[in-house]
Amino acid sequence: MSAFADLEPYVEAFKARPEAAEPAWLARRREGAIRRFSELGWPSRKQEAWRFTDLRPLQRVSFPPAAGACRASAADVSPWRYPAAGHRLVLVDGAFAPELSVIGDLPKGAWLASAAETLRRRPDLLEPALRETDTIGAQPFVALNAALFADGFVLALEPGVALDRTIEIIHLGRAAERSSQLRNLIQLGAGSRATLIETYAGEGAYWTNAVGVVAVGAGAALRHAKVQDEGAAAIHLAHNRVELGRDARYESFVLSLGARLSRHDVHARFDGEGAACGLFGATLLRGEREGTIASVVDHAAPGCVTREYFKTVASDRAHGVFLGTIGVRPQAQRTDANQLSKNLLLGRRAAIDTKPELEILADDVKCSHGATVGDLDDAALFYLESRGIPVVEARRMLIEAFAAEVIERIEDDVELRAHLGRHLARWLAGGAG
Amino acid sequence: MLEIRNLHARIADGREILKGIDLAVAAGEVHAIMGPNGSGKSTLAGVLSGRPGYEVTEGSVTYLGRDLLALGPDERARAGVFLAFQYPVEIPGVNNMYFLRAALNSVRRARGEADLDAGQFLKAVRAKLKLLEIGEDLLQRGVNVGFSGGEKKRNEIFQMAMLEPRLAILDETDSGLDIDALRMVARGINALRGPERSIVMITHYQRLLEHVVPDRVHVLSGGRIVKSGGKELALELELTGYGAYGDAA
Repeated sequence: MSAFADLEPYVEAFKARPEAAEPAWLARRREGAIRRFSELGWPSRKQEAWRFTDLRPLQRVSFPPAAGACRASAADVSPWRYPAAGHRLVLVDGAFAPELSVIGDLPKGAWLASAAETLRRRPDLLEPALRETDTIGAQPFVALNAALFADGFVLALEPGVALDRTIEIIHLGRAAERSSQLRNLIQLGAGSRATLIETYAGEGAYWTNAVGVVAVGAGAALRHAKVQDEGAAAIHLAHNRVELGRDARYESFVLSLGARLSRHDVHARFDGEGAACGLFGATLLRGEREGTIASVVDHAAPGCVTREYFKTVASDRAHGVFLGTIGVRPQAQRTDANQLSKNLLLGRRAAIDTKPELEILADDVKCSHGATVGDLDDAALFYLESRGIPVVEARRMLIEAFAAEVIERIEDDVELRAHLGRHLARWLAGGAG
Repeated sequence: MLEIRNLHARIADGREILKGIDLAVAAGEVHAIMGPNGSGKSTLAGVLSGRPGYEVTEGSVTYLGRDLLALGPDERARAGVFLAFQYPVEIPGVNNMYFLRAALNSVRRARGEADLDAGQFLKAVRAKLKLLEIGEDLLQRGVNVGFSGGEKKRNEIFQMAMLEPRLAILDETDSGLDIDALRMVARGINALRGPERSIVMITHYQRLLEHVVPDRVHVLSGGRIVKSGGKELALELELTGYGAYGDAA
């Protein structure tokens, strides 16, 4: 099995794309991107960032872009809805589903639409999202996405615009052996503010390849949550690039309940002084699932703060991975960064790899990191059992407590915490820890 | 209620700690087991409650006609056995109220009673909290998290009051309590005394027994019960110490 043979179906799919009325710059970039994808090929386990990721589920069959034939109903969407959302955009197999979406009233200066509609009406907004296709860590999946994407979502706020109600984006996967190539853009002008929750759910052996480009302008604030809970045969790869301006605030929370293979990459870069970035998440895996959180935070400006805290629970034969790098460049004095990875390994056949890393090139900094891997606390388990709580329920309570502790890090959003807590409880009800 | 016959048990390193305990506790009785450090008091509590880490090598424990040692710790609790811990465990992230309601409903189901709804549960909680002078705010925290030593011990007795066991084993519940907390704990224990309930108090000191007067007192030493008597035995021990029973106090 040669690497080129594996790539061929995607290159073919690119050539076979229907003629679209796209701007000339986009057509050129797509051409460049598919060439880049062909040159890079699939990542190899010899590359440090992919050492722990088993890509075979993705390589065994090919996943040409979904044709959009599958439909979903309101009943398919309702279990995933966020009760406190004020605006909702639903995509099915990577294509906007207007009948399931409620964009709602938006203030002046706010743009929220599918990527396809944005391309038709405001292509200028999408251009920045494709600017740097090739430069993100030589990432072939980002290049493939740039070549093939047809849709996604775009949120753009002009300076000073505050969205009071949470935006929710629901991605449903349906079509077996098809891929959804999603391109998402979040652009917050200076002093603007928004909360957004993305939900990825579905059934079947599909591949979601999502690329998000996030720019948080000077003094702007974005809370960005993600719930990812896909079928035991699905593949989920997501890559978010985040740029923070001066005094910007970005806080993300990823609740990943897995897929056959799931990976969430986030690359955040501080471009201006005084900004803060919080990256939080909990991954819970059972069965044969593999889940990875890979974060890179680049302190390229002085006086910025990073708080990073991820937890993983792996049971059965599942495999959890945390890769975290915080880099502090020479000019980034007064950086305050810490990173923590805590992991719960349930059962002999489960596995966890965790690799927190600091690369510090400035001298006046406050940085720390740490990682733990452990089992449930026997003394706590006995205490609960000694009060009559059956062992399965006692274990569930302790796993829930372990994961809920990181959800508590979300400050001042009770509804979001409760929503994530419900997803956590639903996962726990789905089987033994 | 409880019948222990020739109970031998050892700990993980192979040392035998219990070397043939015989004890019978009838319904409605309160027994005190006293003894010096290292006599096997906590091991006995651990074996009776099903704490992992002990191996019973000989003997039997019968509780209400059942083989207690064949039951898991959660099954024992649902069958009406309660252990008040010497060192209550802190469990961050598990809310006290949530925990207690799960425990109470598990025990109630085993007794053939219906689950309490949130309102009924809260009402029951408030009545028992008052008895032990525990603030309601403590219940909003994680289990035993941020509790003082005395609050942890009171919380044990509060849980006992909520779960209404048939057999309560109190492991050094009096240790580390100031006199006011000791009185509250004693009041909680006395409130539970009744013809259908038995209480085994394991203690080093006599002072709890001034407040909760036992029917029988046993001296545990070197893994065996070496003397049994009425409540006056506790007073005698207070005067003479454990020196007469082989081990240093």
